[in-house]
Amino acid sequence: MAQLLENLPAGLVWQGSHLALPPGGILPTGFPALDAELPGGGWPAGALIELLAEHPGVGELSLLLPLMRKAGAERWIACIAPPLLPYAPALAAAGVPLQRLLLVQPSSAAEALWAARQATASGACALVLTWLARPDTAALRRLQLAAEESATPLFLFRTRGMAHHASPAPLRLALAPTTGGLRIDILKRRGPPAARPVLLSWCDDTTATNDACAGTARRLALVG
Amino acid sequence: MPWLAIKLPELPLQIFTRGLADEDTPLGVIDSGRRNRILAANGAACAQGVFAGQALSAAQAMAPKLQLQARQTAREAALLNEIACWAGRFTPRVSLAPPDTVLLEIGASLRLFGGVDVIRQQAREGLLQLGIEARLACAPTPLAACWFAACGQAPAGGIDWREALDGLPLSVLGSGADGDPALPQTLAHAATACSASTLELLDGLGARSIGAVRALPAAGLARRQAQAVGLLIARARGEQPDPRPWFEPPARFSHELALPAPTHHSEALLFAARRLFTSLSAWLRARHAGIDHCRLSLVHEGSGETPLDIVLGHPSDDAEHLALITRERLGMQVLPAEICILRLEAEHPLERGAHATDLFGTPGQARDEALRLLDRLRARLGDGAVRRLAPLADHRPEVAWKTCGEQPRSSQAEPSLTRNLRPLWLLPAPRAIDPRQYTLLGNAERIESGWWDEGDIHRDYYLARRDDSSLCWVFHDLASPDGWFLHGCFG
Repeated sequence: MAQLLENLPAGLVWQGSHLALPPGGILPTGFPALDAELPGGGWPAGALIELLAEHPGVGELSLLLPLMRKAGAERWIACIAPPLLPYAPALAAAGVPLQRLLLVQPSSAAEALWAARQATASGACALVLTWLARPDTAALRRLQLAAEESATPLFLFRTRGMAHHASPAPLRLALAPTTGGLRIDILKRRGPPAARPVLLSWCDDTTATNDACAGTARRLALVG
Repeated sequence: MPWLAIKLPELPLQIFTRGLADEDTPLGVIDSGRRNRILAANGAACAQGVFAGQALSAAQAMAPKLQLQARQTAREAALLNEIACWAGRFTPRVSLAPPDTVLLEIGASLRLFGGVDVIRQQAREGLLQLGIEARLACAPTPLAACWFAACGQAPAGGIDWREALDGLPLSVLGSGADGDPALPQTLAHAATACSASTLELLDGLGARSIGAVRALPAAGLARRQAQAVGLLIARARGEQPDPRPWFEPPARFSHELALPAPTHHSEALLFAARRLFTSLSAWLRARHAGIDHCRLSLVHEGSGETPLDIVLGHPSDDAEHLALITRERLGMQVLPAEICILRLEAEHPLERGAHATDLFGTPGQARDEALRLLDRLRARLGDGAVRRLAPLADHRPEVAWKTCGEQPRSSQAEPSLTRNLRPLWLLPAPRAIDPRQYTLLGNAERIESGWWDEGDIHRDYYLARRDDSSLCWVFHDLASPDGWFLHGCFG
């Protein structure tokens, strides 16, 4: 039986004990520890990805900075209905191509959903970040379809409380801040349930947040 | 076969049916001269027993739901002009043959398009998109092309076209004349048809086809004041020169489309507007140009109109894109009354580089798609809702950025004045906090600036850690000793 399974063409049968290979391409996250836990070894290029965080500012943008830096010269990074203002000097310092960043602030939740779907389906965005108020399952399914068809990664930010609600997103991650880093609980992925959370430390990454770590260390030394 | 004739049968009816999305609506056109007669009726009306020439009262009895429109000859001439503009995509040499034919000299375009059949096929498809039914025919002379189109038969391959011409019925000789005195009698028009009395005479002589007329002795015809027929046939056969005035497309696009029934349904309006955009697109293609602004006027029944300005971020000649933008604009527009006429106006076509086609996809495609997305979002959400960010050289955090609607003029961003750490999220306004819930990290960064524009600040900024160990950016306002504020989060 095992031999029979091994002889099958790759991608035809997915065994529950292995990580599946997403149908579209793969975009490396820039964090090897996270890549190792994600199916295919990175963000799925054509999928709705849910990132659950209690409030903005836990480190969700830093997680996506490597992807934003690599946005192509002719495609947008669409930010739809962000809860706070993405701060231009910090983004520029982190190497994000600001001229490709599109800030969309619709007046209602319905318009935000429309804009998210348009931006995703157009295929003109390298990635779409969206903060939707209360999307229902049908809306999420449409977003997932749009992402799949246009091979655009769509990141949907929601609160931690939504972890108990079912969602058609193939990848759901819960984010929580730690001292000098980020703790990622993989709630859902195409593969076996994750045994332990992924811990990222900003100090490993050569971003501007290096200083933050240095500052932390200095302070802790003083306290200790 | 360098001439292609596009003949529009039932032109008085077609100016109304092209804007009609629903083909099941019975529609009739009444002659302006003879008010009580039906001039033309569409398929749905004919199916209910209405026919051309029928008395108005009889037609209304047969089809009680029949919608009636008075004939509008000015609109017919305008439609002919519109088609002539559109035909500029095939050849620059277009000639009008009123009342209902457009002639294209396609000799120089054959190689580019790949032959007569390809041009004819593309013209047929293009006319369908404009919402127009037409009969097309090709022949070596313009008059012969007109006649073949009028009869609806093309010279079959293998037979000499002159022989096919001889077989045409006598009635084509009168096909250029509509008998409507309102139309201007141009030189070309006067020479393309012979009078009703001559036709009657020839019919009386027993001639039934062009060939039979040609067999008649010229001297005898001259004695009966019918020598013009001989000249006409000689022109059609290419034995006499037949000069045609070339049509000059107008420098500005302005065309109207009358809706058969007043409506306020955006889908019905969009259907009709699509016809106009297709026409605009062909007018632009003939000039190798694009537009970034056009105006669609919705003329109300009664009086007044609602202008709809359609603004694009970059010059385009794509009808589908224009229609999409219009859909978003129409969805937001409140219409005070029902619409009976659509008018599309465009000026100042902008020069546009030709698209190079590539084996491996179109190079500029990604950029075009990105600009299209921007146009769509702006059309629906408004200009203010879609913005871009740019840093500004200022020490004060709240003014160290700006939003810009358009592409930044210079790609060179302003240099940042500080190398200190800045948060990825900024609060729209600083929020007062209780400092006991935050642990300060590192040293203060003092920012004192802005005395020149009333935005004077004196603050000590700190990195701080919240209870849940997320990092944020807080400041102590030096002006008020107890003032602690949250200003940003390190996302």
